[in-house]
Amino acid sequence: MQNYTDFIDEVLVSAEDIKKRISELGGQISRDYEGQELLVVCLLRGAITFTADLTRQLTISHELDCMSLSSYGMGHYASSGNVRVNLDLLTNIEGRHVLLVEDIVDSGRTLAHVLAMLRTRDPLSVRVCVLLDKKMRREVPVQVDYIGFDVPDKYVFGYGIDIDERFRHLPFIGSADLSKYIRPA
Amino acid sequence: MQDYHEFLAEILIDKQTLQKRIRELAEEINRDYAGEELLLICILRGALPFLVDLMRHVTVLNAIDCMAISSYGAGARSATGNVRVTYDLQTNIEGKHVLLVEDIVDSGHTIAHVLEMLQTRRPESLKVCALLDKASRREVVVPIHYRGFVIENKFVFGYGLDIDEYYRNLPFVAVVDLEKYKPE
Repeated sequence: MQNYTDFIDEVLVSAEDIKKRISELGGQISRDYEGQELLVVCLLRGAITFTADLTRQLTISHELDCMSLSSYGMGHYASSGNVRVNLDLLTNIEGRHVLLVEDIVDSGRTLAHVLAMLRTRDPLSVRVCVLLDKKMRREVPVQVDYIGFDVPDKYVFGYGIDIDERFRHLPFIGSADLSKYIRPA
Repeated sequence: MQDYHEFLAEILIDKQTLQKRIRELAEEINRDYAGEELLLICILRGALPFLVDLMRHVTVLNAIDCMAISSYGAGARSATGNVRVTYDLQTNIEGKHVLLVEDIVDSGHTIAHVLEMLQTRRPESLKVCALLDKASRREVVVPIHYRGFVIENKFVFGYGLDIDEYYRNLPFVAVVDLEKYKPE
């Protein structure tokens, strides 16, 4: 089994830069929702690290819920197609301010579907906070209200994001050199 | 939601103490699983910050999965009775080394049921890592292989533990003064 040092291309975002940016995002979100009650929704599993660190920077009181999605048809949920809910919210979002926390947006299809689905439940507002935005991959317009970092179209891993289920624990975002990467059996 | 400063009785475990202990637990895990691959299972939602901070110090190869459970009948999942899996693992754990990461073990009923259920899937090994252990409340024997802190039977919140769904994000574990807390 390879270690990430065998195939890493570069550290795209360092642990320090992530920390600093999350602190800024936390401040901004806290200001924007001041005096409001917020429901933070963590999209499993990629966003767990980001959500845990982001919510610690929030000074407003809020609730936390989780949601897990996949796409019909293809394996990875970044593909096109409808979204399947594996784990739905425990919270009724009707009349609530909702902040969706996602690790990465690329085509935008998944996010667009989730937003459309959540809006049918009549929340007061729904906003989106993503750590990484692969803008050049966008296929459908989707609203993203808080962005951690714009990243190039590279295969990224670390800080919650896996490469074949591994290396989510790394404190930084790395990009993989796929010519050096060997897919586990 | 009421400001927590109004009902905070005391900070039971501060941020530095938590982080130091979590690092120690991770080092223990790294030693015990050296050369192995480990699947860390986060029991939602309470164990989220603990898992995230723990895994940052885990250096053995690892994968992360999540599981959500509730109890039949009573509202709180610390109740006795069978466990209902509301969100199951995406990973097939057969032949894998599995470490269940939990925020708190109280009566032990929930975790005992989960362990029993997961054992039927024939993992290579199955252990428990709990941040907090309310040992005095234990009603069934549960093996806890990695334990953050043994705490008294007090109503605690923060660091993943909620008070009516709020304040999971606090970086410390605190005790509620129930006389001052006003649920909405």
